[in-house]
Amino acid sequence: MAHKELVLPLRVISQGDAMRLKRELEALNDYVHQSQLRDSGAELKTLPKPSLALNDLAQENSLNLLKSEDREAAIGFLAQLVENAPIIHISFASEPSSTFMTKITRWFRDQIDPRILLNVGLEPSIAAGFTLRTLNHYHDFSLRQQFSDQRELLLNGIRESQATNPL
Amino acid sequence: MTIWWLAVILVSLVSAGIAFIWIITKLTHLSESSKSPHQQLLDAANTDVEHIFNEEFREELRNRGRLHFEKIIGENAMFLQQDLRLTTSQLNEYMKQELGTKLKEEFTKYEESITDAKQMAIDSIEKTKEIIEEQRQMMSQQMSSEVEAEKQRLIGRFEQNMADIINHYVLAAIGKQIDLSDQLEYILSELEANKQAIAEDIIHGA
Repeated sequence: MAHKELVLPLRVISQGDAMRLKRELEALNDYVHQSQLRDSGAELKTLPKPSLALNDLAQENSLNLLKSEDREAAIGFLAQLVENAPIIHISFASEPSSTFMTKITRWFRDQIDPRILLNVGLEPSIAAGFTLRTLNHYHDFSLRQQFSDQRELLLNGIRESQATNPL
Repeated sequence: MTIWWLAVILVSLVSAGIAFIWIITKLTHLSESSKSPHQQLLDAANTDVEHIFNEEFREELRNRGRLHFEKIIGENAMFLQQDLRLTTSQLNEYMKQELGTKLKEEFTKYEESITDAKQMAIDSIEKTKEIIEEQRQMMSQQMSSEVEAEKQRLIGRFEQNMADIINHYVLAAIGKQIDLSDQLEYILSELEANKQAIAEDIIHGA
């Protein structure tokens, strides 16, 4: 079944975020359904306070979560996203802030794929920079890797130093 | 040759003795055997002879013969002794010469053998020295090359470790000083530079 293509909010970064949002939507859906069963025929005026991510999803996609069709569309979209979205593992030397991750996520969604999800890891040994792992490849843009690549430069420096100042 | 002379002298002495005894015996026997008139005359003559050559006379003759025989024996014994001494001295001389010659020959052979053995030993030692020298040179070269290789390996390991130590030190020293926000531009530029590769990974991976 084809679902309406929605815009994924930047607050939803990882696959876990997407699953949490989907579970929230399903819970909301259940809540609305149960409320309608309790008060048969009555229209629901208010909803429980949604999370920021759900709020963003609704706003960015002009969804009315009181409408069953919109909720179903969002749930379907998130289910498909959890199932098929491209996932990239990205690691930094320290814990990134949400603002930082928002900028990184925006770049990926603008430049690579709007449905992309990022799994963020922590790797203090890289000192600076980042490492990136897709399904098939591993990219190391860390300072550690830079040092390794420039090792010959360091060795040449040591040799020159030994040549000029022998022990 | 002297021994033969000695043997001839001895044989001649023994023969002379035997002949003398035989003549005495023959004479005695002949005096008793004839009985014819002629024999009787002979017997009579014998009797007279007996009277003339009585026991005392015979004894005297025997004594004289014995003395003569002893004299001859003594003379011959003296000659024999002289010959014997001469022969012995000649024999000694001959033995000395022979032994000397033989010993000289044997010593010469012995010296030649020793010289040959000495030469062989010297040759063998020379060859051994050459082989040892070759092996020493070969081992020296091998040792030099191995020492050089080991030196290069140690230097390589030292440089490797040194580079690792410096890297580790620098990473540990500055790692905590670099704020992630400051790296945003660098990260975005790296992502931009590798956008194509990442996009292809995503497309082909999915």
